[in-house]
Amino acid sequence: MRGSTIVSTDRQPVYHNHMKRHTKGNFHQTAAPLLFLLPNILIFGLFIIVPAIQGLRMSLTEWGVFTTPRFIGFANFVELAQDAVFWKTFSNTIVYSLFTVSLIMVYALALALLLYKNTIKGEKIFRSLFYIPSLLSMITVGIAWRFILGDEMGIINYLLRRFGGSGIPWLTDSNLAMISIIGVSIWAQAGYYMVILIAGLQAIPIELYEAATIDGASRTKTFTAITIPLLRSTLLVVMVLSTIASFKAYELISVMTKGGPGYATKLIVQQVYQVAFLEDRMGYASAMSIVLMLIISIFTLVQFKFSGREQGYE
Amino acid sequence: MKKILGILLILVLVSTTVFAAGTKEETGKDVTLSVLWFNDANEDEVFLNTIDDYLQANPHVKLDMQIVAYNEFDQKLKLMISGGNPPDVARITTNTLSVVVDSLEPIDNHVADIEAVKAQFLPSMVAFASNPKGEFIAYPTEATANGMLINKTAYDKAGIDVDEVSKDWTWSEWESVVKKVVAANPEMKYGLSVDFTPHRFSTLMYQFGGHFLNEDQSNIEFDNPGTIAAIKWFKHVHDAGLVPKSVWLGSENPAELFQAGLVAGHIGGSWNINTYNKNVADFEWKAVRMPKAEINSSVPGGKFIASFKGSKNQEEAFKLMEAFADKTHNEMYSRDTFNIPSRVDAQVSYPSNSNDFEVFLEELKVTPAFTANEWKNTNLSKVTTYIREQIVEVLLGNITAEEAVANVDKKGATYFK
Repeated sequence: MRGSTIVSTDRQPVYHNHMKRHTKGNFHQTAAPLLFLLPNILIFGLFIIVPAIQGLRMSLTEWGVFTTPRFIGFANFVELAQDAVFWKTFSNTIVYSLFTVSLIMVYALALALLLYKNTIKGEKIFRSLFYIPSLLSMITVGIAWRFILGDEMGIINYLLRRFGGSGIPWLTDSNLAMISIIGVSIWAQAGYYMVILIAGLQAIPIELYEAATIDGASRTKTFTAITIPLLRSTLLVVMVLSTIASFKAYELISVMTKGGPGYATKLIVQQVYQVAFLEDRMGYASAMSIVLMLIISIFTLVQFKFSGREQGYE
Repeated sequence: MKKILGILLILVLVSTTVFAAGTKEETGKDVTLSVLWFNDANEDEVFLNTIDDYLQANPHVKLDMQIVAYNEFDQKLKLMISGGNPPDVARITTNTLSVVVDSLEPIDNHVADIEAVKAQFLPSMVAFASNPKGEFIAYPTEATANGMLINKTAYDKAGIDVDEVSKDWTWSEWESVVKKVVAANPEMKYGLSVDFTPHRFSTLMYQFGGHFLNEDQSNIEFDNPGTIAAIKWFKHVHDAGLVPKSVWLGSENPAELFQAGLVAGHIGGSWNINTYNKNVADFEWKAVRMPKAEINSSVPGGKFIASFKGSKNQEEAFKLMEAFADKTHNEMYSRDTFNIPSRVDAQVSYPSNSNDFEVFLEELKVTPAFTANEWKNTNLSKVTTYIREQIVEVLLGNITAEEAVANVDKKGATYFK
């Protein structure tokens, strides 16, 4: 048996050191996976890593679209620290993200719990109805909702006035404007996350629920002891994806409020666009983008840290 | 047999290659001009109709028109230029001119007598289309001005002869008049809507004696009594409910509010004549002289077509632009787009609304010359969005007019270093 690769004792394969030496250099187990990954690695490197490095380099320069970049060290970051408008957009971004992500999680989970069992009549139609908004372009969604929420020309205010009420300043009051864009963001995106959560819920073995029922567990107990722990990894995916999306929200807000009134709904990405393309300060805009990237990274890492622990069940 | 077949195959291949080369030779003169365009209304259609005779006479010239929303136009053009792939021809505004001025190919390099060409256009248009070296960089296609369009039916219903009262009215007189108009029309809610742009706000600013820049245009000087007075007045009419908050605070379209009969008047651009001519059927409207504060003033502007340094088909691009800018084509384009012609010798007979164009021209005649120079300043164009935001902050009551102008000067100064 010298040269044998596997020594079977208790029917479990055991790999010995000489086996590792043998497989080292095996094309199928070493180079082949790398070759399969190569296209993705190249695309990722070309379109993610290289632009990120380029962005970092640009953030250290003073540069307009039609001028030659001039190295200025960390001056852009120093200016950023004292830029009141940037910090306003920063706080807006945090508020928008916190509310959008947490409410999307709750709403999408509620929808998924209602619609995952295939027991309600017309369940698939409801799933489609809730999912359709996520297929629409955010620009279309923004235009449609501006048409609904507009102060003077909006449908809701038209109906309110028609029945003797007064209009509600959905988009001209600073607080209501933020609430409006959060609400529309949730409406537009929850369906997508609902589908992910339905897949997660359907992957939980039904036997666990049956065992819990036999043991006399209440619905709440089943939900907290079985559903949530086993859905944790899916919830983490939803949380990370929705957080990243919320930090990058641009089209919807640009169409619905243009970041206004004033700075009330202006997020960092809107400010980056304005500084880069309207004020022609590419270097400064790059510094903002770097800060945004760091914030997203920190949020994502924190989410992984607190939510990403593997859950097992006996 | 195989040899014969082989020889035949080679002959077929060779002859195909020769014919293909011949075809390439023949179509070598064909030129497809890339044209970047934006629309206020239907200018792309009118442009194509206008130059149809030129294209018929020059069948080797084809156009690849790319029509971009105005909001995205500047960014698209900048990216094309910075990417080394500028269009052959682009329609541009005075604002865009100030941004891309250094990238435009001077007409001086393509005509024998540039002074004769310049003399064909309105002086204000030539001023806009000249770069700091004095080179002529774009063909003016239409002149624009800001002005006031009013709902005549609503004024009539209030028993107000708008032609009479608007001959020489002030903003305080307008205020008392427009309150009567709104009171007499239950469906009407406001007296005036003003486009959500610094350009349209500057109409009021100039009327109140304000300005953006200092006298020699070397620095921003938004902090001046006229500008502060204009901002305070603008806040006053918002607070008094004479102007809808939904435009400057909620970015609703002021033209739609006017068309819906919700406002008695609209301060917009001369291109709105074309828009309302097409869209308004429920009431009679017309252009009237704007009220004055310290002075009467409009804001001059214009649209142009230009080619760029590095454009691939410059020679054909300049031939096309020259043809489009001649008297016949300019008159035709101005008539069909309801625009003020850019040529001094143009005689346009509009199918309707001639009086409205006259009103806008009257506004232009009394507009101070420095206004054009301010709006062609490249550095000013970088701070206009911030100016708009600061005015909104005043309207919201978050800051005072004095704080807003100080903020603008502080930020603006960084662009005039």
